[in-house]
Amino acid sequence: MKFFATLLIVAFFATSAAAGSLTVTVRGADGKPVADAVVTVYPGGQPTKGPIKFPWPYRVAQQNIQFTPFVLIAPAGAEVAFPNFDKVRHHVYSFSAGNKFELKLYGKEENRTVKLPTAGVAAIGCNIHDQMVGFIRVVDTAYAAKTDASGVATINDIPSGAVVARLWHPYLRALKNEKTLATTAISGGASRESIAVELRAPAADH
Amino acid sequence: MFSRLQTKLTVLYAGLFALALSLVAVTVYLAIVGNAQQAVRKELTATGTVFDRVWALRTQRLHDGADLLSRDFGFRAAVATHDGPTVESAISNLRQRLGLDLAFTVGVDGEVVGVDPAQLDLEKLWTALDSGDDAQGVFIVNGAPYQVISAPIMAPSLTGWVVFAAKLDKREMRALEQLSAIGLNAEVFDRRGDGWITSDSGPGNNSMAAFVEGAIRDKTGKPALLKVDGEDSLVLVKPLKSLAQDGAAALVLRYPMAEAMAPYRPLMAGVILVGLIGAALVAAASWALSRGLARPIIALDDAARRLQRGEDVRVEIQTHDEIGRLADSFNLMAAEIRQREAKITHQALHDEETGLPNRRALEREITARLSAAGPGEHVVVSATGLDRFTFVRSAIGYDLATQLITQLAARISLIAPDTFIGRLTTSTLCVVSTQDDIEATLGRIEALLAGLEAPIRVGGEMVDINMTVGIATTEPGGLDAPGLIEQSMIGLDQARAARRKVMRFDPAAYGDPSGNLSLMSQMLDGVGNGALFLNHQPKLDLRSGKITGVEALVRWKHPTRGMMRPDLFVEMAEETGYIRALTDFVLTQAIADQKTLRAAGHDVLMSVNVSGRLIDDADFAERAIAQVTREDARVCFEITETAVIGNPDVALGVLDRLAAAGIPVSIDDYGSGLSSLAYLKQIRADELKIDKAFVLTLEAGSKDALLVKSTVDLAHSLGMKVTAEGVETREALGVLQLMGCDIAQGYFIARPMGVEPLTNFLESWSIELPETMEEPKVHSA
Repeated sequence: MKFFATLLIVAFFATSAAAGSLTVTVRGADGKPVADAVVTVYPGGQPTKGPIKFPWPYRVAQQNIQFTPFVLIAPAGAEVAFPNFDKVRHHVYSFSAGNKFELKLYGKEENRTVKLPTAGVAAIGCNIHDQMVGFIRVVDTAYAAKTDASGVATINDIPSGAVVARLWHPYLRALKNEKTLATTAISGGASRESIAVELRAPAADH
Repeated sequence: MFSRLQTKLTVLYAGLFALALSLVAVTVYLAIVGNAQQAVRKELTATGTVFDRVWALRTQRLHDGADLLSRDFGFRAAVATHDGPTVESAISNLRQRLGLDLAFTVGVDGEVVGVDPAQLDLEKLWTALDSGDDAQGVFIVNGAPYQVISAPIMAPSLTGWVVFAAKLDKREMRALEQLSAIGLNAEVFDRRGDGWITSDSGPGNNSMAAFVEGAIRDKTGKPALLKVDGEDSLVLVKPLKSLAQDGAAALVLRYPMAEAMAPYRPLMAGVILVGLIGAALVAAASWALSRGLARPIIALDDAARRLQRGEDVRVEIQTHDEIGRLADSFNLMAAEIRQREAKITHQALHDEETGLPNRRALEREITARLSAAGPGEHVVVSATGLDRFTFVRSAIGYDLATQLITQLAARISLIAPDTFIGRLTTSTLCVVSTQDDIEATLGRIEALLAGLEAPIRVGGEMVDINMTVGIATTEPGGLDAPGLIEQSMIGLDQARAARRKVMRFDPAAYGDPSGNLSLMSQMLDGVGNGALFLNHQPKLDLRSGKITGVEALVRWKHPTRGMMRPDLFVEMAEETGYIRALTDFVLTQAIADQKTLRAAGHDVLMSVNVSGRLIDDADFAERAIAQVTREDARVCFEITETAVIGNPDVALGVLDRLAAAGIPVSIDDYGSGLSSLAYLKQIRADELKIDKAFVLTLEAGSKDALLVKSTVDLAHSLGMKVTAEGVETREALGVLQLMGCDIAQGYFIARPMGVEPLTNFLESWSIELPETMEEPKVHSA
């Protein structure tokens, strides 16, 4: 608890001293909100030094022959859990460079963890079920969030100053599925940005 | 167009047959072509359908392979981890297993594994692959069309594509061609730039390219006819899906019509051969048939021409059709024409009554003899006239008279067999012969004539005949036939006039008849220019010794011929009808001369000769009387007794009219011609002129003196004065005075003379006449 309290105080001061928030609203070319788009902010253009901790669990469950969540943000070097809630076995793999792994057939209620050491993307699939696709966005900044169902992502407590903000989505039609946002600086208070993106259709029969 | 019937018929029939046959051949050909085209169309369409199926099956097969590979975990791992050698080996493995031409992967990042990227247009390929799942279609690799199949590699997200390609090369097309029942030609065309080309044979020919372009544009899914490389082909264009969006490809199935027609070629050849043989047979048959038809017509044509030339023709045609009947009719016609012609010719050359040759036949004969006569030979034409024929004919009738002529001709022909005998006129036969010695011939004719004149028996009676012969002869180059006949007829007239039995034509006596008419017109000219004039011969009154009258005598001094003999031109004027004009002149001139004499103190009676031709012309008499009365002239008309005989009633009437008008009439030349006491009694004349023939030989005691004396007495007793003409001596004058003659005229007293000499003569006239014993007794009639 003490740890948590200290963190909160630090955060508060930081915020109170010189911090702002960035809210990004992502919509598709058709105007519909785009969920599962990841916004990353690099204050001063630099990755965060020291350990990064996000408030959500680093876990991708297999449930109903689907990866849940579809997109997970995890810091580099984090241990990500792959619990199986289905009755069938799964064979989860990733061929993504730097985060390659393979969890060979494991059953219900079994939990496996994998350490993802490299910032980037780990596209995960199941060798048994082709339709199961998921993505883990491995980040090296503490300021990251993904859009909710309404296409909105908010990152708080960003130190004021120049920033590099990026948007990523697994199907974003862009190099490495990533775009740099228009926001280049954060001042005290809330910054807002809306962006329209073009998505590639996911493979139909997968 | 054709002058020969035979050619015409042959060409017509052979032409018709050839036309009919051509129509049949064309119909058969069109049916065959239509049939063959239909069959080829069906086959092309069927092959197109088969191709669709083949294409689909192969697509499926390739796709299955690609799909299988793209899902292989190890392969996906290799691709995702960029394990190039592993990927290449895996693809190569599958390529060999499936027998593929090309197999490679294309990453979403454009990385190509398994093929040299330089061989293909990577950008086009990537765009096509990226535009949709399972992109497939025709794509050009290394310049050649390939059937391309792709499958995405999901690892698990899209990492790239597996691409399989099968070359659409000749081998592939041969395989397709073998699926068809007919040997069609299959090619893949693809559009590069503006044109369509086929990689097998380089750039396709323009017509083919244009045709493919059109077919693709119009989406015609049906075969169509096209001329390719000079031969008709049926072409079916099937569009093929192109992998690249801007690309286009088509499968072109082609079948040459010549190949489709090949099986029918023997049939067509057969039709044409049979047609040619048929046409030849028809031509030969029509030739033969028309020859049979034309030959008799040609014969008839030839015969008609010969008939026209007057030849004796007969057409021998033994058929029983129309032509045969025509030939029969022609022969009949020709025969009748010949008969009629013979009859006409006979009629033209023969006398109808006697059947003897006529004048035309005689002329022909003479002409023929003239041209056949040798040197020294003469053609002799004897006009043999039957004397007094009209009397004989009225005595025995026409029929017997004709028989008489016929028998006479037969008699002549019997005694002179070398002669040609014809009838010239009703009473004249003409005998034509050829002789050397004319004089001997004349003698012979005279000798024979006695025998010919023997009585002829006609109608049971003997008829006496007398003949006169006039002869004309000529040598070849002399007279022609009509001239000869004319001369013989004139000779006959001359013989009769001369009262000779046989006489040759005398040209001197005949003169120049054709000159007469022009002479007459010259005479009329003379009336005006003084060439014609009067001389007057004084008449002496034997009782008083005075000149009491003159006879006006016409004279003509012809400008070139000199003095004309009055008897010649007066007679000519009588015969040619100019006598009236001449008499008019004489009368008018006499009256004028009388006036001249009267002016000189000499009143003499003018005697004017009036021709017998005018005395029965009442019109002349009226005018003469009127003229004399009007001019108060003293004129005496001298006429001959014979003038009255021709038409006594009129003539005597005219003389009565003259007497009534107080114009004295004198009977001229009394005693020389036929003297009729009956007429002498009827003619109311004042004077009788005794012909000089009696006076010239008047000697005391002669017979003439007796005649003159009795005539003087006769005239006196009829109440006429007597004038003697031809008084040339003092003795004659004395005798006449003694006989009681009243007036004398002649050279002893004076010759005829002009008015001026006459005036002088009258001035100086005196004569001593012995006193006569008794006064003449003059009784009025």
